[in-house]
Amino acid sequence: MAVFLIRRLLAGILLVILVASATYILLNYTGSDVARNIVGETATPEQALAKAAELGLDRPLGARYFDWLGTTLSGDLGKSWFNNVPVSTTLFNGLPVTLSIIFGALILSALVSVILGSLAAVRAGWFDKTVQASAVLADSIPGFLVALVLAMVVAVNLGWLPATGFVPFQRSAVEWLRSITLPSVALAFGATAATTLQLRGSMLDVLKLDYVRTLRSRGLSDRRIVFKHVLRNAAPPAVTVLSLQFIGLVGGAVIVEKVFGLRGIGSIATSAAVQGDAPVVLGVVIVMVLIVVVVNLIADLAYGWLNPKVRAE
Amino acid sequence: MKRKLILAGAVSLALAMSACGGSGGAASGGAKAGGTLNLAVSQSLKSWDLAEASMGNAEQYYEPVFDALLHMDAKGAPTANLATSWDYDASLTTLTLKLRTDVKFSDGTPLDAEAVKANLLHTKAGKGEAAALIKAISDVQVTNPSTVVVKLSTPTPSLLRSLANVPGMIASPKSLTSPQVPVGSGPYTLDAATTTAGTEYGFVANPNYWEKNSYPFEKVDIKTMSDPTARTNALLSGQLDGAGISPDRVDAAKAGGLKVDTVTPGVVEGLYIWDKKGAIVPALADVRVRQALNYAFDSASIVKIAKKGLGTPTTQHFTSDSEAFVPELDQTYKYDPAKAKALLAEAGYANGFDVVMPDISSLFPEMQAAMVEQLGNVGVRVKLDKIPFDQFMPSILAGKYAMSYFKTGGADPWIAIQLIVSKQATWNPFHYEDQHVTDLLSRISTSTGSAQVALYKELNTYLVQQAWDAPWDVVKDVYASSKNVQVTMHPFYQTPPLFNFKPASQ
Repeated sequence: MAVFLIRRLLAGILLVILVASATYILLNYTGSDVARNIVGETATPEQALAKAAELGLDRPLGARYFDWLGTTLSGDLGKSWFNNVPVSTTLFNGLPVTLSIIFGALILSALVSVILGSLAAVRAGWFDKTVQASAVLADSIPGFLVALVLAMVVAVNLGWLPATGFVPFQRSAVEWLRSITLPSVALAFGATAATTLQLRGSMLDVLKLDYVRTLRSRGLSDRRIVFKHVLRNAAPPAVTVLSLQFIGLVGGAVIVEKVFGLRGIGSIATSAAVQGDAPVVLGVVIVMVLIVVVVNLIADLAYGWLNPKVRAE
Repeated sequence: MKRKLILAGAVSLALAMSACGGSGGAASGGAKAGGTLNLAVSQSLKSWDLAEASMGNAEQYYEPVFDALLHMDAKGAPTANLATSWDYDASLTTLTLKLRTDVKFSDGTPLDAEAVKANLLHTKAGKGEAAALIKAISDVQVTNPSTVVVKLSTPTPSLLRSLANVPGMIASPKSLTSPQVPVGSGPYTLDAATTTAGTEYGFVANPNYWEKNSYPFEKVDIKTMSDPTARTNALLSGQLDGAGISPDRVDAAKAGGLKVDTVTPGVVEGLYIWDKKGAIVPALADVRVRQALNYAFDSASIVKIAKKGLGTPTTQHFTSDSEAFVPELDQTYKYDPAKAKALLAEAGYANGFDVVMPDISSLFPEMQAAMVEQLGNVGVRVKLDKIPFDQFMPSILAGKYAMSYFKTGGADPWIAIQLIVSKQATWNPFHYEDQHVTDLLSRISTSTGSAQVALYKELNTYLVQQAWDAPWDVVKDVYASSKNVQVTMHPFYQTPPLFNFKPASQ
């Protein structure tokens, strides 16, 4: 197990370096005039040239790349070209926002899909059909539309929850929960549909297996069979879907953060990419690849916990 | 039992959340004297260093902490602030400022002539938009602690107005070398506890501020919110007291009980003719061709349809708040495609001509469609060059296009001239020079009062006759505010200055 973990971690670090290096090189071929974007439209051409020299953009790509690689490997992600704030501070401020709404969405998605998926598989009939139809419908509605409707109806018209903004957990737990509720629900919408259908399918497969019949013949209650035995065996594929959903939710968070005025990693990445703020883009890429690596690792470990056969292998 | 406990917990949580729901939005936005003023800005803060500061929407970030040397009244005339009086010499290259003697920075350092000198020299040496406006400052001399003399390399008619904005803001000299935390003498100080860099900036009242009556709020909170929908929703739900919104949200804002004002920051949009030398498209060197382009556009329809009425059709670069504005000039080029074709034929282009222009459909699809169609109607065949929008400005500056859609300008005529007209103007990529224009600019810079106004108008008239560009309209921005505040727009600030916000009850 330890060897497996170390191997996966080393592969993950290599992946981070490769992806970040590729991003660095690609950023240099976008053709945008970053120095002009920084100094603004009213600045003189001389000011733009001076800014380009200050950022080292007049140096050869190779020299800049190795400088960047050296400082990054030493743990310094540099400062934003646009606001001079250290990239680590920007990420430190943005990560809690994005992770809060993503984990909120994942927990919501896992809870709802376990309940609906299990009930649909066990009860079958009209309930199963309703769940399936609703899931297909929910999956087909774009996340931004859900976010816009939630913001307009629940926040603006009803005034139940805030329309925008994020409150850090340490400032107020209740306000934090209120601030992430709508974005998490908007984000969870599509993910829940996919996970529900996946869980329903795998539970139906497991329910047909011989050992379930044996358990029934031994007089175990349906509830115990479903929650103790069937769900555990049907869960691994759903966990895989959830871990993939996590990666998808990072993308979905970009739109949801915009609608709810949240300065999370998604909106930081978007604005940095549009402006050409290379240090911030690279910082976001490094952190997101690291998160994906860690999530996949956790999914593998969860898979092993849920299915002892995997552990043995 | 366990299930009941979970249910009870869930119900309590929901009750707690909805109990806060009633107050969450309104409480944070309930601006009253001594309360909090909640604003949002679309642009992010670039730096607290005034030498790197941006202008436009970003001005609002600096106003709480930094006080400016001057203020401006509604007509753009300078009024006293940190400087109590100001006086030019006869050559208009030496400006003497008398300063208040009772002002201290929030770190306790006195605001005196040395501090003003250090700031002006620091800001002008920077690379920000604010720095560009005071580049003509060649030296600053301290006569005594309350008198400072500003030397200019060339007369700069816009200087006093610039000193009433970010370029004239004064930071504590101690903070100039480490501007991570802003230290000024303004009405508020930055509150680290409610500030998250890049997202939200909280300010609390400066107890030692010398003119507290102009700033009745105890706290100011400025959020960075780039998305117009998020800004509108935050205004409608009571989280904000003021923010700029996009034209398509005006109806929703009005229906939601918000006050909607228009701001005209002096920006003019339309077809900008970069290649007046005719280097890429020889036809553009002929004034008749440029005049034909002016007759080709139905600006009133463009404003009505593509801009939902948020603009004022014009044919000139100077707006009604500017000293250079001549109302009659707006009648010069009435939409007349037949006359446009006749002028093109007279210039030897009866079959029109071809031109490559940058594609702007990603941001302004309706305007591009109207522009291409109306140019096509008079025989100008446009080939659109699809480029990423972040390459739009660099490509124009590099002289890649002969003409394109663009918008720029300023309420102050000298600032507009430095952007568009002079040989070294930022947006004169081909460095086109007209000797008559150069002579007029020289005379404007060395004149004052009514003589200067007359010269500005003469220049404007000449530029319109020469069809310098083909403007469509003066851009109107939209600013929405809650019923909790009274806010007055100011033509010389892109967003209303902080001293123009008052609680509704006052």
